[in-house]
Amino acid sequence: MKIRSIISIILSISYILFNILILWATLGWNVRKARKAFEKQLIRNGMAKKDAQRISAQYSKLKNDVMNTLKRSMRGGI
Amino acid sequence: MNEKEKEDVEELKEVLSVVSKEVPNLIKSIIASVFSEEAGRDMGRAAAAFYKELKEAGLPEEIAVRMTENYVSVFTSLGDVMKKAVSGKESIKGAKISKEMGEEISKKVREKLAEKLSKEVSEEVSKEIEKELAKRSREDEEEEDEEDED
Repeated sequence: MKIRSIISIILSISYILFNILILWATLGWNVRKARKAFEKQLIRNGMAKKDAQRISAQYSKLKNDVMNTLKRSMRGGI
Repeated sequence: MNEKEKEDVEELKEVLSVVSKEVPNLIKSIIASVFSEEAGRDMGRAAAAFYKELKEAGLPEEIAVRMTENYVSVFTSLGDVMKKAVSGKESIKGAKISKEMGEEISKKVREKLAEKLSKEVSEEVSKEIEKELAKRSREDEEEEDEEDED
């Protein structure tokens, strides 16, 4: 009973960590796709490619902010 | 291990089994609402419509681009919101800054009031002096007239 409970707890924590790791690994790819779709819309409406890229860079900035905040909060928690 | 400890372990096991299913889904949906192709396309559509309107209204290219950039930065200020929400230290720092600003403002207001008050007082005093001088000169003139008549 005791061993089974401990194994179950370890499995649950591993599952959470694994999912967070996958999310972190795929975040960069998602940001890239979101940026491309964003730029495409702006260019379609007549904006210069350079300006569209400059504006869409805010996506990367937002991603960095979110990641830094998460890291900081995790460090604070530890 | 007594009964109470056994119950605690069981409870923790149940809580973690629920959390391990719900938390990753919650994080996934939060991230997908901002960082996904669809979200990017929607935001791009909104920004493009804004830019188009500005261009049609006759604004120069540079200003339209800058305004669109500001418009998008409003959407993407989520990072700042998170920073403020997560770090308590910064909010304390912010409170300190706002307190300092408040003190500075009240100091400036007091200075201005003192300046205004002294200005009003000096104006009043100078008016009084002018009145007094005018009165005296009138009296002098009257005396001179009386002497001339004599």
